[in-house]
Amino acid sequence: MPIDVKGVSFSYNTGTTLEKVALENINLSIGKGEFILIGGEIGSGKSTLIRHFNGLLKPSTGQVIVDGMPAHEKHVKTKVGILFQFPQNQLFAKTVYEDVAFGPSNFGIKGKQLDKRVIHALQLAGVREELYDRSPFTLSGGEMRLVAIAGVLAMQPDYLLLDEPLSGLDPENKNSLLLLLKTLHSQGISVVIVSHRIADMLFLADRVFLMQDGRVSFKGKPDDYIYSTSSPLPDITSLMKDLRQKGIDVRDDVFSIEDAFDEITRVQKERMVR
Amino acid sequence: MSNLFFTYIPGTSLIHRLDPRTKIISVMIASMIIFKLASFAEMALIGAVFLILSLVSSIPFKVSMAAVKPMIVFLVIIFLMQLFLTEGTALFSLSGFSATREGLHIGLLLTVKFVYLLLFASLLTATTAPSMLTAGIERMLRPLPLKKAGISSFDLATMMSLSIHFFPLLYEHLWHLKDAQMSRGLDPGRSPFKTVYSLSVPMMRTAFRSAEEVSFAMESRCYQGICRTSLFDPRMQRRDFAALSAFVVVMWVILFFA
Repeated sequence: MPIDVKGVSFSYNTGTTLEKVALENINLSIGKGEFILIGGEIGSGKSTLIRHFNGLLKPSTGQVIVDGMPAHEKHVKTKVGILFQFPQNQLFAKTVYEDVAFGPSNFGIKGKQLDKRVIHALQLAGVREELYDRSPFTLSGGEMRLVAIAGVLAMQPDYLLLDEPLSGLDPENKNSLLLLLKTLHSQGISVVIVSHRIADMLFLADRVFLMQDGRVSFKGKPDDYIYSTSSPLPDITSLMKDLRQKGIDVRDDVFSIEDAFDEITRVQKERMVR
Repeated sequence: MSNLFFTYIPGTSLIHRLDPRTKIISVMIASMIIFKLASFAEMALIGAVFLILSLVSSIPFKVSMAAVKPMIVFLVIIFLMQLFLTEGTALFSLSGFSATREGLHIGLLLTVKFVYLLLFASLLTATTAPSMLTAGIERMLRPLPLKKAGISSFDLATMMSLSIHFFPLLYEHLWHLKDAQMSRGLDPGRSPFKTVYSLSVPMMRTAFRSAEEVSFAMESRCYQGICRTSLFDPRMQRRDFAALSAFVVVMWVILFFA
């Protein structure tokens, strides 16, 4: 069962001179187990859109259906977890453990089951065990972010939405977060990433949506996205293009570093044979 | 943001174009008159004045109501206190406390007074840009001997404009935070204590951190607080004096003849 967005429009401050149309007639569907990227510039309506997926915002017209239920029902929030931008700001509890337990306990999960979920989420997010009983405010920025991620994972959502998850992370943390998302995706969770810079995540995606001025201006596969829009190429793809121009006969429709590595070694082997 | 609570709504109406001091003084006069009044007939007249001003300024009524809405809890408490704690002829009684006819009268009147205060204040903030409001207040404070208290009207103006500038930022932050906690299943209607706790702790942290950052930013730009100039110098014009006198006359008429 999918998230179905049907004819959704939304405006802020309706009826005043400050009225701003944020979404206009959005139609899309996100299937179970899909890996989706939603791109678009700042202010194009991406963040407003995902706030409709678990009922934080109600559409002015149209409707959002999650697994057959209207998105504003409370139960939907257990299915759709959102990790907002700078999630380290949401921490508040006395200990890391309590903060991660906040989500599931709000849905009435108690005792052993709660403990199991919290520990599982902390392990999944890669929070070191000696931090469990520390105050979240004594942690470093990177550790705080991992705790916040665990806080969303502890809800065991079927759909995981992330708003600019890579902003402010160093390359190492970026890679470990992407790896985590890949693992979750392989376990059957739908992952939706919203970002103004999606090029370097394209290799993970099943499908890509591009938002522009509150509308969806592109829907399709990552390779179509590269060729049919004027969006920037992933760094690795432009490197392959450069190699081609230098006369090295590699394919340039490559989005991931692993594929690029395979491709370059393949070409190198061919050369050695010759 | 979906926030209309005391926000500035840009416009070009006569009221938008008045000097901020005209509007501030008018609101002060209106508040004094509102608290002097003691009958419902007079209250209705004040209501009419507000409606006319609100029509002239073309501020939607929704914006003014947004100023009243968050205060409803307090208004209800004020009303109930008056209703039950005023002595007089009893109307009915509830677990030892009896509501009185006099209490009902005073309670209603007082509640309406507070609503009017909020409405007039919202009209001021909705028609005056925050920077103009600060400039207006700063000019009005200048003649006061604040130096003796170790503070200048410039300092006050800076503090005020900083608070005004940071209010929307903090509000936006609160909005994000509420979304994040609600996504984790927080239900503000059902568990108010948890709501206050899970929002106020991170908000305090953010507020202090951004205050620190701003003070660093100001210091690194050599802020001294000695002299402050503003981009738009407010200047009282003929229409300001006309509007102010008209307002005073109307209020005076309501006070003495109604």
